[in-house]
Amino acid sequence: MNREDELSQLGAGETEYKYSYDSTLLETFENAHQSNDYWVTLNADEFTSLCPITNQPDFGTLIINYIPNVKMVESKSLKLYLFSFINNGEFHEDVVNKIGKDLVSLMEPKYLEIVGLFYPRGNISIHPRFFYSNEDEKYKKIEETRFTNANMNPVKVG
Amino acid sequence: MSLKKIQIHKGTRVEFHSNELLFLAKSGQPYRGSLYVKFESQGESFDLVDFKRYITSLRCKTLNAEDIAYELYSTIENSINAKNLGVVVDLSARGGLQQRLSFGSEFIVTKKNNIFQVGE
Repeated sequence: MNREDELSQLGAGETEYKYSYDSTLLETFENAHQSNDYWVTLNADEFTSLCPITNQPDFGTLIINYIPNVKMVESKSLKLYLFSFINNGEFHEDVVNKIGKDLVSLMEPKYLEIVGLFYPRGNISIHPRFFYSNEDEKYKKIEETRFTNANMNPVKVG
Repeated sequence: MSLKKIQIHKGTRVEFHSNELLFLAKSGQPYRGSLYVKFESQGESFDLVDFKRYITSLRCKTLNAEDIAYELYSTIENSINAKNLGVVVDLSARGGLQQRLSFGSEFIVTKKNNIFQVGE
């Protein structure tokens, strides 16, 4: 199948933005290099959602790292999907896990991790991390290593 | 929207900076950016919580990107008596293009980092 036939949103001309959570916005295309293991990093610097209790806006950067299997997430559809959280009330910890599970369900990657770098609220910033690997021993080992070593080198937020 | 006034010493130079500006473009796409406000008080400023609420209310407001600096300027100007009021907005890049909009008195913005989690 041609890549143009796999995707409906990229290059569609007119884009419809949805303002409530919608995981069906996500689209995939086929990995053309399935015999290689390689990393893909997606940085989403404009993520926003709402606090589920106070309705105050939250902002953060999401960093998505994955090793693709057969399917890969198309970045425009990811952008529209992430925008769809704009009016959604989610704790930071929940939103990172929710996005992680949606992407795992969508792509069935070999390995995937997400870190959410949320802006401070009340002087405290929250950085939840999501890890997933498939059943292959190689990727289980990657997950174990990265999980064990997560946050060994804390970074400044700003 | 009108901002609640507070009384402060006349002549105080006041600056505000927020990295959390969000409004909607005509296309419906959210625009993200940072805003900077500077003025010299004539005995008044505005309530911070009210200003936060106002910024949050822009999340569902549709504007031409170029009008966002005036939107902020006019809201402040209509709420308090301020001298040399200036507004600068830096928008995140769209299609590889970055925009800076300003309205009112010119000034050089001072960018500050967010409060950090753990020191280096």
